[in-house]
Amino acid sequence: MSALTDPKGAIAELTRPEGWVLGVSVAFLLFLLAALLTGALGPTYFLFLVGLAGMYALLSFGLNAQWGFTGLINFSVAAFFGIGAYGSALMTASGSPIAGGFNPLVGLVVALVVALVLALLIGIPTLRLRADYLAIASLGLAEVMRLIVLNERWLTNGSAGVRGIPGFFSGWPVLSTFPETMPGLRLEVIPGSPVILETAFWRASLNVLLVLAFAGTVYYVLRRAHRSPWGRVLRTIRSDEDLARALGKNTYSFKMQSFVLGSLIMALAGVFYTHLNLYVGPGDLDPITTFYAWVAVILGGSGSNRGALFGGIVIVTIREGTRFLNDVALPIDPAPLRLLLIGVVIVAVMRYRPQGILPPQRELIWPSAVDGRGTPETPDSGVREQKGGGGDE
Amino acid sequence: MSEGALPTDDAVLRVDDLQKSFGGLAATDHATFAVERGTITGLIGPNGAGKSTLFNLISGFYEPDGGTVEVNGTDVTGMEPYQVADHGLIRTFQTPRKLEGMTVREAMLVGPRKQPGESFLRLFASPGTVGESESANLADAERILEEFEIDHLAAQPATDISGGQMKLVELARAMLAEPEVLLLDEPVAGVNPTLAKKLKSQIRRLNEQGTTFLLIEHDMEFVMDLADPIVVLDQGHVLTEGTPEGVRSDDRVIDAYLGGGT
Repeated sequence: MSALTDPKGAIAELTRPEGWVLGVSVAFLLFLLAALLTGALGPTYFLFLVGLAGMYALLSFGLNAQWGFTGLINFSVAAFFGIGAYGSALMTASGSPIAGGFNPLVGLVVALVVALVLALLIGIPTLRLRADYLAIASLGLAEVMRLIVLNERWLTNGSAGVRGIPGFFSGWPVLSTFPETMPGLRLEVIPGSPVILETAFWRASLNVLLVLAFAGTVYYVLRRAHRSPWGRVLRTIRSDEDLARALGKNTYSFKMQSFVLGSLIMALAGVFYTHLNLYVGPGDLDPITTFYAWVAVILGGSGSNRGALFGGIVIVTIREGTRFLNDVALPIDPAPLRLLLIGVVIVAVMRYRPQGILPPQRELIWPSAVDGRGTPETPDSGVREQKGGGGDE
Repeated sequence: MSEGALPTDDAVLRVDDLQKSFGGLAATDHATFAVERGTITGLIGPNGAGKSTLFNLISGFYEPDGGTVEVNGTDVTGMEPYQVADHGLIRTFQTPRKLEGMTVREAMLVGPRKQPGESFLRLFASPGTVGESESANLADAERILEEFEIDHLAAQPATDISGGQMKLVELARAMLAEPEVLLLDEPVAGVNPTLAKKLKSQIRRLNEQGTTFLLIEHDMEFVMDLADPIVVLDQGHVLTEGTPEGVRSDDRVIDAYLGGGT
């Protein structure tokens, strides 16, 4: 049943945490809308935040495809993100110390290919071994990548970073000049606090469009994969790899596919970030990015795509929302408060809802196979929710 | 010792001079035996006799130091477990781990081999084929759950069922992989008598339908009642093999179990 044709029924079907998340999201959106209309939040900055949220959602999707699906412990999220960011920046930027000046689509392809090669390089020796080896190797990879970017000035400009990056749509027909051709708008919904939309706003809305396209595609792919026999093998590997091997599954190949897929998604997040921020520096490869992605996935519920999406948004809200605390007189600087807040959220989630806020719920069977049978007995509410709500309070 | 000792050509599994050492300890010491098609062959031996090592060697989880393993006439020595499974040999584990976040029905659907939907590209290139095979597998899974009289568990989380029920699900799932020979590692260890009885009748039924079994079991009553022939392992080599009666009255077997003799 579609949420569009029967919104009431769709709401009634939600589990308690789903309803809770929906409620909070709606309240949050209303709050943002109010902030926008009163001029407290600039529309261009708001769109930048949406782009950032989309970027974190992509990173979380990538990690979810590795850790959430298959149980692969990857501590080099920042490295793959950095490869995406630098790969695209070095190909397209006017300030690039190497090639530069290519169309952003070329940057996208190059970034993804480099990420693919690196994922294979790190996967080939470690994925045959126990899970811990990938964790250690990826930790090393993250640091190696960061140091290369920092020190190989001929390639990356070192600590100065790469400037002069074009927008993603530069060189495209229509879209490349779209922001300039749009008229400036002045909206005055609330008298006395006009909202002005100009070129920067339209440029930012293109970025939002881009990240929605990236995240939408990735979400669609992951959702289909998760419900498929392919995803089922990954989930089996997560619980018991030997069982999967004994049942004739080439687990090495499956783990490699999962690892490469996740790494490509992380690189995609990096490509988007490059064209959103228009500057990349070695700081973008700091381990904190890896940490944020892990928090988002664990918070949202490992293995759950919408959980990863939710977690990504929560991270941006905490990261950027705390900036506004500058306006409030606080006894301490808000920057450390940010990490403190994330820490508190993690502890609270682990204590009260260790499976995450939106764990993967419905039975995951290829949709057409279930529909064909007329489904009355498949459980609609989730596997975990069924136990009389035991662990949900 | 009538049939067991007779060399015939219809062996679905043949183990020849298999060796494996860990450090200085020969866990499998020149073991040789065959499993004839259509039998339920029992593998017994005192603790530490090397039964589990032998299972791991046969199913490809360990690489042997020497000797060969043949499944259906194909030499599978040194192959990966998934390749051995592709030749028709499926195994279960002594202590099955539970599949988190899956229902019993989903856990069953891991069983069928070579599903089109296990190819990432085909999920997008030919979703129709994936759907058809998933429908067929789902129907098979539910039919087998019914035959095992555990269809009421289908929608239960796989983490919520009892250990004994898990053993039944494991056996049911292994059947979805359509094995020619199924290796069961202690199918009734820790299973209550009622479920053990059920397992026994299921194994017998499946055997009558054509599946060959090789099973490790410590429950003597269970194995003597079900298996024929029986292979006795002691200190990594085959001590003797034969009918349950023959094995039971063999002095060497009694010595091995009581720790006398050697």
